[in-house]
Amino acid sequence: MPEWIKKYVRFTEALNYRVGRFAMYLLFVLMGVMLWSSFSRTALTPAIWTDETGQFLLLGYFMLGGAYSLQLDSAVRMDLFYSRWSDRTKAFVDVITILALVFYLGVLLYGAVESTAYAIEYGERRRGLWRPYMWPVKTVMCIGITLMILQSTAIFFKDLAKLWGKEL
Amino acid sequence: MTPNLIAASMFGAMLVLLFSGQRMFGMIGFVAVVAALMLWGDRGGYDLAFAQSIKLMSWFPLMTLPMFIFMGYVLSESRLADDLYRMFHVWFGPVPGGLAIGTIFLMVLISAMNGLSVAGMAIGATIALPELLRRNYDKLMVTGVIQAGSSLGILIPPSVVLVLYAMIARQPVGKLWLAGVLPGLMMAGMFIFYIWIRCKITPSLGPALSSEERAQVTRAEKLRLLSAGLLPFAIFLAMMVPFVTGYVRLVESSVIGALAATLAAIVKGRMTWTVFETASRQTLAISCMFLWIILAALAFGAIFDGLRAVDALKALFLEDLGLNRWHVLILMQLTFLLMGTFLDDTAMLVIVAPLYVPLVDALGFNLIWYGVLYTITTQIAYMTPPFGYNLFLMRAMAPPEITLRDIYRSIIPFVGVMVLALALVIAFPQIAMWLPDTLYKQ
Repeated sequence: MPEWIKKYVRFTEALNYRVGRFAMYLLFVLMGVMLWSSFSRTALTPAIWTDETGQFLLLGYFMLGGAYSLQLDSAVRMDLFYSRWSDRTKAFVDVITILALVFYLGVLLYGAVESTAYAIEYGERRRGLWRPYMWPVKTVMCIGITLMILQSTAIFFKDLAKLWGKEL
Repeated sequence: MTPNLIAASMFGAMLVLLFSGQRMFGMIGFVAVVAALMLWGDRGGYDLAFAQSIKLMSWFPLMTLPMFIFMGYVLSESRLADDLYRMFHVWFGPVPGGLAIGTIFLMVLISAMNGLSVAGMAIGATIALPELLRRNYDKLMVTGVIQAGSSLGILIPPSVVLVLYAMIARQPVGKLWLAGVLPGLMMAGMFIFYIWIRCKITPSLGPALSSEERAQVTRAEKLRLLSAGLLPFAIFLAMMVPFVTGYVRLVESSVIGALAATLAAIVKGRMTWTVFETASRQTLAISCMFLWIILAALAFGAIFDGLRAVDALKALFLEDLGLNRWHVLILMQLTFLLMGTFLDDTAMLVIVAPLYVPLVDALGFNLIWYGVLYTITTQIAYMTPPFGYNLFLMRAMAPPEITLRDIYRSIIPFVGVMVLALALVIAFPQIAMWLPDTLYKQ
């Protein structure tokens, strides 16, 4: 494997690890926001920003955490046959099928970028009382999907290396 | 191509890709975006997959998902259930099969504190399993009890499966949860009855505690252990009372539940950094897994919607095949079970529901009631070989003297009991509907 591929894989994994660990703690921010929501509704005047903020946080949680969860290899596979194959066969099949996965993520990213461009251009807001702008959360989604593509590509290279009998 | 043919070829392509063993969300999403591009590429088909993320975000109760997963991991990682188990152990010891019966009770309590079956499984395999084997319980009985008991986690509220179902069926989560209560308790009761009968006839399956051993436990100790049972009730009440009285919403009550479990772990001195880190990391991993699959499955479902595949299916069954709607319903549950034996459970959850739920609706059945049928069927699928989440978990957690064959054999009678429960809920919808109907009438 050329040196730049090794560098790419190392860089991507380190980046996604950090972003993923950050996303992990968003769960507790989400808890805080929801608690404030119920507290303000019973004791003060109801906060109007909590519901949308919560929804944005959840979206950020799984978009930014997605690449890290790929690293942790938590994605479900149907392993009726897969589990019986040798590591080489697994790597061989994965190298091909992950292209389909990247294609899906690519189409997703295309939609995300287009939607974000629209949100910025027209100052799109969410309906409701608070009417937050939509471009920040959509930008986060673009970043998250991009990180997923980077991670999937790194996995592709690692499987390719495995086919040559090397570990990346 | 006709809509039916497109739908069938999408389904076929997806199955082939899924069997390649690649990550499921990618394969489902791939088929969906290719179909969208081919069908509506000139009219915004490329946008269909991304548009689902906004749909996902807008669905408020989805926030309960990571909360209940976190709660489950805190409970199992901090081993809060140890005392609970000892309580049931002491109180049910004298009955034939008492420890197995106690394990079912334990599972009911754990189910009331978390939304998946994983936590119940982990607690059952680490606490109950070694203890039951040491007491010479029959190993088939033991593994069967733990798997069957932990499957209650997705039927007794809070249930993550019902949250996902609610999203697809567009039904209120609160009503669905209430609908799961009585069938869940009924099923637990049926398990207990089965264990009791079996152990009564063949005492060697589950020997009662000897009188010497019972004498070792003083009455004071017995009462002290009873207080361990207060913990799950406290967590359950902290979560449910503000919700039922209307002070907090569903999502907020799930936050309270997660915090209450964390607090209980801190008070008991079991909340170490390792526990906290594992719970947070696993919650992220499992939530991401679920949410990315749902995102892809929503795109898949949106295409089925766009094709009006449901109308075509309904016409096929009712007009071309001349079946009535009950035939179709029973046929659906049978194919669901059949698919459950070879499809992965998560796949079933997200693929079968978008396909079946609109059809059930079109046939004029109550979607709350069907949610319970759906969950029981998923429970059974969780336990049937060769695929079964619980089977694999059991294999991973059980000691080596229990073979995969033992595990497969052990579930047969319990699956029988569950099929009976399913038939009862189909025949008597009131079992599921009585509680939500009564409570929501007020």
